[in-house]
Formats: sequence, C-alpha cells, structure tokens
Amino acid sequence: MVAVFIMINRGFWVFTDVSKSLSMFMLEKALGPPIDFVEGKKGSAATTWILHGALWLIPSSTVTFCGLWLAHDPDALHSLSSWGLNPSSPSLIVSGFLITVYGSIGMLLIGAAMHIVPELGGTDLATEKNATLMSLIWTLAVFVMFVATNNPEILGFKIMIVSTVLINLALLAIIVNLLITAASRSKKMPLPGWMMIIGLISAPISVVSLVVSGSIDTGIGQWLATRMAGTTFFLMLSGALLYGASRGSGNPLWSRSLAAVTLSGAIITISPAGLIEGDVAADFLALDKAIFDPSRNDIIAGSFLLALSLIPAIALSANVLATLRGDDVFMENPDSPGMPEINLAAFMIVPITIGALFISTDHLTGTNELTGIHMSLALMGIWLVSVPASLGSALSIFPEVSGRNVLSINRSRWAFWLMAGGAFSGLVFTMMADFSDMTLTEAAIEEEIRTANRLRVLGSILFYGTVLGAIYHSMNMISGTFRGSLVGAESSESSTSISSPYKLTKETTIRKILAQREGKLDTVVIPETTTEDQGRATEL
Amino acid sequence: MGDVLDDKENSLVGEFLQGEAEPSSSWVMLAMGFVSTIIFLILYGILFPDSDLPVISSVLPVFDGVFDSGIWFFILGAMIGVFAILGTMLTEATSE
Repeated sequence: MVAVFIMINRGFWVFTDVSKSLSMFMLEKALGPPIDFVEGKKGSAATTWILHGALWLIPSSTVTFCGLWLAHDPDALHSLSSWGLNPSSPSLIVSGFLITVYGSIGMLLIGAAMHIVPELGGTDLATEKNATLMSLIWTLAVFVMFVATNNPEILGFKIMIVSTVLINLALLAIIVNLLITAASRSKKMPLPGWMMIIGLISAPISVVSLVVSGSIDTGIGQWLATRMAGTTFFLMLSGALLYGASRGSGNPLWSRSLAAVTLSGAIITISPAGLIEGDVAADFLALDKAIFDPSRNDIIAGSFLLALSLIPAIALSANVLATLRGDDVFMENPDSPGMPEINLAAFMIVPITIGALFISTDHLTGTNELTGIHMSLALMGIWLVSVPASLGSALSIFPEVSGRNVLSINRSRWAFWLMAGGAFSGLVFTMMADFSDMTLTEAAIEEEIRTANRLRVLGSILFYGTVLGAIYHSMNMISGTFRGSLVGAESSESSTSISSPYKLTKETTIRKILAQREGKLDTVVIPETTTEDQGRATEL
Repeated sequence: MGDVLDDKENSLVGEFLQGEAEPSSSWVMLAMGFVSTIIFLILYGILFPDSDLPVISSVLPVFDGVFDSGIWFFILGAMIGVFAILGTMLTEATSE
C-alpha cells in the first residue's frame, strides 16, 4: 500500500507517461466495440453503478425475506422443485447476504468512489466509459454468485470461482481507473478519498501477498486473508460515510484525527463483520475450509485484533454524528437525500460491532455459545449499518452525478422508514426466536419450539418492509433521473430557492409556499456588497 | 358581477396541491390501520381456530399445489414492485 501511495504521488520514474497511456489504452481502445455501447459523459459511471446497486437491493431483500420465512415454514417454496429448485433457509440467507454485500453495498460504494475520488482530487474520472462497462460485468458476477450459492456445482464444475474471476476482472479495471484519476489530481486529496482507494486496493494486494508468500495456513496469512473483505468494505464505507455526512449536512468534517484513526485502525485490526464459518471465503478462493483453522497463538492474536477493531468503529461513528450535527444537537438538513440513512448507520455501528465482537471471539475460542444468533446479528450489521451507510452516501451524491434530484423527498422518507423499521423490527424478532431456540434446545424442551416459530413468522413479515423500502427507493431514483428537478435550477436567490414548478409571477399564499418548501419557510440574508478590507462590516 | 368573475379567476380555490411535508398526525391513521389489521387477525384466530389464513390456491383452485403458502402473497407483491419499476423505466424513456 505504501508502494502504491508513493507511485501515485511520484509516478513510475521514467515510465509514468508510458504506463498511463498503456493503462488508458487497455481500459478503452483494447476492449474494441463493447466500449462504444456505453455512455462516456461526466457522472454516467457513478450514476450507473449507483442505480445497479439500488436495483440489487430488491432481490437482496426479497431473497433474505424468503430465507427468513423458510426458517419457520421450510416447505413454503416446495412448488419450485418442479423447476429443479430446492431452496432452503440457510442457502437463501447466505445467498441473500452475498448479493447484498457484492450487489447492493459493493456497487453503491464503488459508484460513490467514482464520484468522491475525482471530486476530492479536483479532476475527472480517467475513463467513464470503462467504468460504466464494468458495472455490467460486476452485475453478471453477482448473478453467478447467487446461482453458485444455491447450486455450487453445474455439470461437475464449481461455479463460484467464475464469479471470483469476473469480480476481480472488473475490480482490476476500476482500481486502475481510480489510480490514474488519483495520479492526475490537481489538489491535495482529503482522507475520505484515500479511504476509498486504499479500501479498493486492499483486496487484491492481500491476495497477491498471500500467493507470493504462500502463508495462508499461518497466522499472518490468515490476517492477510481477513483484509480481503473486512478492510475493503469497512474502509470504503468509512470514506463514503464521512464524505456523505459532510456534503449532505454542509458542515466540515468534524475531526481529521478521528478519520486518520479510522483509516489506520481498519488496516491493522480485524473487522468482526461478516460470516464466521469461513465456508464462503474458502469457496471464493477454491480452497479447503480446514486451511482456515487457527492455532492457539492465532486465537490469542486474533482476539486482541478483534477487540481493537472497536476503536475505528467508535472513531467513525463519533466523527459522522458530530459532522451531521455541527454546532448543536440537531441534524443539519434532515431532508437532504441520504441523511437519515447515514444517521442510522452511524448510530448502529457501535452496538452492532460490540455484539459481533462477542460472537466472533466466542467462535474463535471454540466456546460457540452465541453461534445461534450469529446470522441474525450479521443480517443486522448488513441491513442496519452497511446498507444504510452505502445507500445514504450514494443518495447524497446522486443528484450531482445524475444532474437531477430524486423524484420525491416524501417517497424517500417513506422508503427510509420502511427499510429501517422493517429491518430493525424484523431482525430483532428473529434474534428473539434464535435466543428462544438456543435456550429451549439446551433445556431439551420440544413442545415450546412453536413459540420461536411464531416469533419467526412475525420477524419475516416485518422484514418485508425492507423489500417495500427497496422498491420505493429504486423507483424514486429511476423516476428522478427522468423527471426529478434539475440540480442547477436551485440557487441561493430567495425567490428561486422555492423548489416549485410554477413561477412566482402572481399572487400566492404562505400555504402554497410551505407545501413546496417541505414545511419550512426561511429568510435568506444576502450580502449587498463585499469588501476585502480586513475588519470592515459586510452590508446586508 | 365582473369583480366576482375576476376573483374566481385569481382564486386559488380549486387547484390541486400536493406538498412534500408530512402532517404530524398522519401516523395516527397508520397506527389505526396497523391495529385494525392485528385485531382482524386475532378475531380470525378466535372465530376459526383450526383454519389457517387463506392462501392464493384456496381462492383460485387452479393454483392448487403451487401457490399454497402465505409467502406467495409477499413474493407477488415484490414482483408487482419490480414490474412497476420496469413499467416506469419504459414509460419514462418513451414519453415525449
């Protein structure tokens, strides 16, 4: 990473221009006709990735909902067996988990990175066309991943590796694209931009380090393996959250030191987010799961690094919450797109990290007393932290990259409450059922299993709110790209700051203005003249 | 008479307005809807204690053995949402 940082700043000695030209050739001309199928105007790549990510929320939440339902009614989808499909609750929950992480969260964050890195570097994305094209490859990879989770072998061939290859192919192109962008920056790039870049490169760098050193079965090798997903997603989430919080609220980033702690902490420590079993990681790399079994020393070091991961989580949460609020306890611009989601993610990150720490340490030490609630907590981490954080950040930059606002703030608010309320209440009830199952199984009481099943029914039905919220959000964003108010139409002038489709050329009423101004009427004070003289008052 | 007509022309009465603001008491209606649903479900359980809630195949026998679980109501809801998005994309892209 240090080498990459130096090369971005200093270049490749005399090969700088050659490597840039060669990379640009590989990203555009070398791809031949397919590159001409996609749009290359500014912001099109970020818009495409964000829209793909938002649309992936619908299958992600639907598959997760079906997985939760099948936990209490395993035969509910038996009619699909006539098509050769035999979905079960664990397979649907794991596939829902993966397509949420790679389809929704991954695509929303990469879309955000394609705006954040050039914006903070004061430059343009190196190639919009290649970035747009790669969104299609990534979407195909996520689809293959979904199939592979439910049907790992087709014609005797393990297909998860196909998904890994496709994702890494797209990731490589995105990384080269963003590195060229960062190398051509015209100003010093703030920390959120570096978080996005380091987050993206940490996955391939850790894989290359593992292959070169051949140390997968050692403690250091396993630490490197945890960089692949944990560090990548945490750093990108952090960068997107910090950028979105500042941009949406209009407040400067509260603390650079806390941002630096978040960055360094994410690189060193082990994130407790994600699944604990290791099956998925083994499938991704086509390895045997047994290779991840830790030694006694690894357990001690791993527990220590897990505990340390609370530091970057707290630093991130405090920084985002303080940035959103500015000088008082109230959030600035609460109706600004994405602000409620960012606020929710910042609130939930600390309690869920603490919960995940307990479960990870419990599993790592072989106690396994809390393994029963692991999946519900992992889903909480996804739907109450990662999805709101990535979606909120993407929503906050969506108007700028697409040129239009989302269609309706009111629908956006509904979508937030449906998603947040559905995920929170649904998963809390599911976790209650998990606790009930753990307790009753331990006491060997079979009759009372019905209690847990009833809670699961309630939990899965409430989680359906997340599906509805995802549909609302997607429709709002898609309609916004066609009919949303133009971003440039809003100016600081008091008369035009009323986001209204009609002109104020005749009489109007306060009721009408309030209806268009989301219930707020404010007076804008505009300086009449400005002066460079030090200490002289500004005339209003 | 002329003044009255002028007033009618300038009057704002009769225009349709839809604001983005949400009235603070609208949650009461939502809560009432939610409570009514719960009451209905409890009442159904009391009146028909041995009967599960009807599913699609119990209303439309042609789907017997296929849509015979409550989950299909939810899946159909999600499918309607997906088709609504596809419809929106098509109509927005082709509208003048």
